[in-house]
Amino acid sequence: MIQLAPHLFNGLTLGLLFALIALGFTLIVGVMEVLNLAHGSLFALGAYIALSMIDPAWAQETALGGWWLGLPITARYGVALAFAPLAVGLAGMLLERCLRPTYDKAPLYGLLLTFGAALVIEELIRLGWGTGEQHLPVPDGINGAFFFGGLIFSKYKIFAAVFALAAIAAVWVFLERTPYGAIIKAGAHDSEMVRALGYDLARLRMFVFGLGAALAGIAGIVMVPIWGLRPHVGIDVVIPAFLIIVLGGVGSFWGAVVASILVGLAVGITGAYASAWSLMSMYLLLIAVVGFRARGLFGRKSALER
Amino acid sequence: MKKLIVTRRGLLGATAAATGIAAFNGPWKFNRVYAASSDKPIKLGLTSDASGQYANSGASDRRGMLMAVDEFNAKGGVLGRKIETVHIDTETTPATGSRVAERMISREECGFLIGAVSSGVANAISQVAQKYGTIYLNTNSSSPTESGENCHRVKFVWDGNGTNFAKAAVKNSIDSFGKKWLLLTNDYVWGHNTAAATRELVDEYGGEIIDEILVPQGTRDFSSALLKIQQAGPDVVAAAVGGDDQKALRQQVADLGMGDKPAWINNQQDWPDVYGLPLDNLFGVFGTTWYYKLDLPGVADFVKRYQAAYPDTSMRVPGNVFYNGYMATRELLRAIERTGTTNNIAVIKALEGHKMPAAERMQHHDAVIDPVTHQVQQTIYLATANRGAEDPDDMFKILTSSAPEAVQDMGAQGACKLESYADTPTLDV
Repeated sequence: MIQLAPHLFNGLTLGLLFALIALGFTLIVGVMEVLNLAHGSLFALGAYIALSMIDPAWAQETALGGWWLGLPITARYGVALAFAPLAVGLAGMLLERCLRPTYDKAPLYGLLLTFGAALVIEELIRLGWGTGEQHLPVPDGINGAFFFGGLIFSKYKIFAAVFALAAIAAVWVFLERTPYGAIIKAGAHDSEMVRALGYDLARLRMFVFGLGAALAGIAGIVMVPIWGLRPHVGIDVVIPAFLIIVLGGVGSFWGAVVASILVGLAVGITGAYASAWSLMSMYLLLIAVVGFRARGLFGRKSALER
Repeated sequence: MKKLIVTRRGLLGATAAATGIAAFNGPWKFNRVYAASSDKPIKLGLTSDASGQYANSGASDRRGMLMAVDEFNAKGGVLGRKIETVHIDTETTPATGSRVAERMISREECGFLIGAVSSGVANAISQVAQKYGTIYLNTNSSSPTESGENCHRVKFVWDGNGTNFAKAAVKNSIDSFGKKWLLLTNDYVWGHNTAAATRELVDEYGGEIIDEILVPQGTRDFSSALLKIQQAGPDVVAAAVGGDDQKALRQQVADLGMGDKPAWINNQQDWPDVYGLPLDNLFGVFGTTWYYKLDLPGVADFVKRYQAAYPDTSMRVPGNVFYNGYMATRELLRAIERTGTTNNIAVIKALEGHKMPAAERMQHHDAVIDPVTHQVQQTIYLATANRGAEDPDDMFKILTSSAPEAVQDMGAQGACKLESYADTPTLDV
């Protein structure tokens, strides 16, 4: 008989990682009502930029590069974790500029534009970094394994789960406890009023999109040491992220977090008892929840339901 | 109502017209002769994946085919005709494979189809190819069913299959590592068939399968499976996990330090899946059909030709997938040259039972195309990570080479029922 406890723990960590993946996606959908299908490509872009910062191919040819490679991997990884998402955030802002003409059109236009952007970014990655499998190095302190209860667990996965918790907390604090977060939420609730109060709505949207893209980049840097790094790695991101925001309720921050953990637990526990159904379990969970509650777990009631 | 009167003149006229049409088209299933002329190029349809799970391997496969085509074109083509290629992405998806095959045959007028990594895609393409009588070379998919129950008269399978690799590995591994085996299986046709072949051999050699963990295609997190493996405590894990799933699995097993214990037998290791990865990710014993450092005549020259043809590719040396793509295309073009025609039945007959000397294929043993299953019977190598190598590209350490007779898939011979020549539409391009 399989011991359940390790699988519950595994499902929980998996859920936190799903939350990290969905964080940027849910922010953009919640505030801007745009389904950003380029989320996965921005996820991959973050990982590739981090790779170029941690282990640059050109570094050995220059004195500066030699000095950089001489720094401990922890320092290089820390710098990459801080600056690569900024670069992805800038790419996100650029994408938002391209999206502007679609705001007053049917949602399909935005959907198609972000889908096209996803293909373009993926091809740019292929051109810039090649098509083959690559490896993102991580600091020794969070690499390797540890024993607990007679079983081996990955140190890195625990690090990634703790990092995801910290990222969730940071985004929540930003949205709920800072004036910037208040403006963003107000912009989502009543954009005309925010504009009337003198805030530049266009800049606000650009900032939110950039923040969502940066969160996608962070997720990429944290996840690829587990999943591996290839140009199309982002494909694996968009569907779970979309499923999570629908399950949690579109626009609900805590809905996305709770849905992520439920999905993680479903995948983890199914993996223990009926492994062939592990991926299917998240879709069954979605059907089970949305079948009874169409707006998802924490979704707001629509005007028709009141 | 007007009465229908059949006159003798009308009847004769109708009969003459029907005979004319029949003579032009032949019986309905033997009716495809493209507007052939001696200088019209021969068109090959390259059905390799450019996206999805096997995108990277598909690109390598395609490079192999194109190098063979370029070499023939540099010599003036085949039968005085240039070779042209058309590529459409099969997306690692069987339904797309069917659509691509239909389009290539009926709209692009491709006379031959080449390429596959996914067995599901290969099976889908070959069903369409058989319907039209178009010769199809399955270059790199290795489910035993491809040359077993899913074999076709028009299809030739160039890679070693799951049974070939399992035969090379299972007995030695039971003796070396232990009898308790666990199967870790990708939940699709190649995984299932490879696992079934391994299970049969483990039973035959006195081992025991204690569990089988099925992992869906597209799995990126293997932590549940790896926990289950630890809880089950097998001596050997026989993994039939391919493509991107395998890359993620390798990364996670290496991270946990589980690569040495239990012992891992990875049925086949495609070069594009591991090229450039840390050697820790290349744990266990695995099979391959070719390696760029085999100490055989012709290998070094082949590598040089690859590097000259593809100076910009990130994969600096060719692997098994490229090799299979190249060899399949070369042998097809040679068969057309030998027969002096592009007639499909003549070319099929030229390929069936065709012997390929070891020296020409840069392997340790002569190879032959089995006339019963249409699978190339060839040398199977077992390898492991080449720790301590100075050249970062020299990732494999070849452990053994098995002769084709020792690893032959007898099950496929029983399961394969090729369509008769008469039931295969004739085709000439």
